[in-house]
Amino acid sequence: MIDLTYLVAAISFGSLLTSTLTFSAPLILGALGGLCSERSGVINIGLEGKMLAAACATGYIAQASQDPVLGLTAGILVATLLAMLHWTLTQTYRIDHIISGMGINALCAGGTSLISKTFPELGSKQMAAFSIYVYWLCAWTAVIAIWWILKSTRGGLRLYAVGNDPDKSRQMGIKPGKVRLQALLGTGLLTGLAGALIVTNAGSFSDGMTSGRGYIALAALILGGWRPWPTLIAAVLFGLFDSLQLQLQGQPLFGQVIPGEFWQALPYLVTLVALAGIAGKSRAPAGLGKP
Amino acid sequence: MKAFHMSWKQILLALAGFGVVIGALIVAGAVPAEALQTVVQKALTTPAGWRDILRETTPLLLLGCSVFLALKAGLFNIGADGQFVVGAMASVAIALHNFGPLTIPLAIVVGTLAGGLWALPVGLIKAYRGGHEVITTIMLNNIAFFLSVFLVKGVLKDPESQSPTTAYIAEAAKLPNLVQNGPFRLNIALLFAIAVALALWWYLKRTVGGYELNATGANSKAAKFAGIQIEKVIVRSMTTSGAIAGLAGALQVLAYENRFYSGFSPGYGFDALGVALLAGGSPLALLGSGLLFGIIGKSTTVLSLTGVPKGLSFILLGILVIVFASFRYRKEPSHD
Repeated sequence: MIDLTYLVAAISFGSLLTSTLTFSAPLILGALGGLCSERSGVINIGLEGKMLAAACATGYIAQASQDPVLGLTAGILVATLLAMLHWTLTQTYRIDHIISGMGINALCAGGTSLISKTFPELGSKQMAAFSIYVYWLCAWTAVIAIWWILKSTRGGLRLYAVGNDPDKSRQMGIKPGKVRLQALLGTGLLTGLAGALIVTNAGSFSDGMTSGRGYIALAALILGGWRPWPTLIAAVLFGLFDSLQLQLQGQPLFGQVIPGEFWQALPYLVTLVALAGIAGKSRAPAGLGKP
Repeated sequence: MKAFHMSWKQILLALAGFGVVIGALIVAGAVPAEALQTVVQKALTTPAGWRDILRETTPLLLLGCSVFLALKAGLFNIGADGQFVVGAMASVAIALHNFGPLTIPLAIVVGTLAGGLWALPVGLIKAYRGGHEVITTIMLNNIAFFLSVFLVKGVLKDPESQSPTTAYIAEAAKLPNLVQNGPFRLNIALLFAIAVALALWWYLKRTVGGYELNATGANSKAAKFAGIQIEKVIVRSMTTSGAIAGLAGALQVLAYENRFYSGFSPGYGFDALGVALLAGGSPLALLGSGLLFGIIGKSTTVLSLTGVPKGLSFILLGILVIVFASFRYRKEPSHD
């Protein structure tokens, strides 16, 4: 008990709230990007790559042009182009979705690393950027928008149909390829925003700066059972872990100092345990990965 | 998996991939023809170059075997990197102590077991819970990374050192070089790796277990109908795959690195996906694709000395995987 009161005293709730909002926003955006894609039946483990590439594009263009609009546009454009590449590879070339996602992740990790190492002087200038509040707003609006689209529009229904059974949808006259194209445009937009947010928050681009947040977004999506509101809750929870880790560094909990690595690994552990326990494949879109 | 298939679309993709690599070289300020010349002169025609190529090939070949085995059972082992790290960590924990002549065998066995255990939950969750192995392995990769950082900063840390690393293992715990000629070295670890590839070939072609594994990977429903207990096959394949990756980690410690440090794997587990995919159908082809990725590894290191960042190797990996997968590993709609 003594430990707990000590702990609560150590937490500043105001900054906990803001840092949770900041940390969770890219996860929300990334996870919703994944939701668009996976609800349409396209497995997307390439969220990390798209976010990284978008962060790189936004960072450097916003520094070079000193124009926040141009920077954000560049990030969204790059993420969208990568989403389109994923669409082409999975739908036209019919490559296995996981291989395509892995390939795109490798391309993005290599490409952004090559650019940032070749032009080190780019990172030194101040970048022009939107306020972080704009991104919070985007993230929370996106949840409402996607929830509404999935629940109440013809397009949302088609997305569900294609994601659950592409063959039957084909017989009903819905073209899975076309629906998935639109879904992946959404993925591009949202992962682009997520990447732009990450670079905005850091101030400039650095090699490998998404540091696995694309994968945590994927974890949030799975924990949320591929549904918008539960996904939001999972993403906010992961954001909370991150901010708690910052605040509790070196603070003893029940007589033990919990190492920072434990907090960093916690989202992955929680997802693993959830997969072992309650959240099996039953809630995943049935047509995931099917042509 | 369909047979080899080629059309103008694939050729277009291959050309685009080639263009990206050339473009990357130009962006990095290199002249492609000169870069090729550097690679040939510094990596492919010198004894020191081949020493490093064979050194790089060892973990890539073993991890390639690991991913290949899982792939044959219809499982994507994205987690080879984590299993490699855990295997290396367990192995170094043993090798830092003196168990007399048993040190090396013990370190190898413990590393292998650790890799297998790290993959066990993946197999169990896949077989009995239906959780996708790609997701669980991604989670376990990250957990392995943070665990290794924690341990190497804590109990395993060399008290003498400022940076997060273990101490070096004793001379007696190192695997010996088979050939040592000027700058050229060939460590016995590479023979282990080749032996594993051959054993894998034999296992998949000649044993009941291998047959069950192939059948499960080709069509799990049909395999189940034929009386194969696919849950057991899945758990067994995933654990074996992890054990091979753990072995790779153990050998990396005992033969080459002689210690464990934060950032031990430069992403070998992901290159291994390329090694396994490029090998296509036969485990024997792993020898070739492992060597190819070894050459890529050394070549990009040589190029990094001339100012081309090491990121090029990941670009090459991405391009090779995508282009090659467009020839194989395709999925066709059941009916249009």
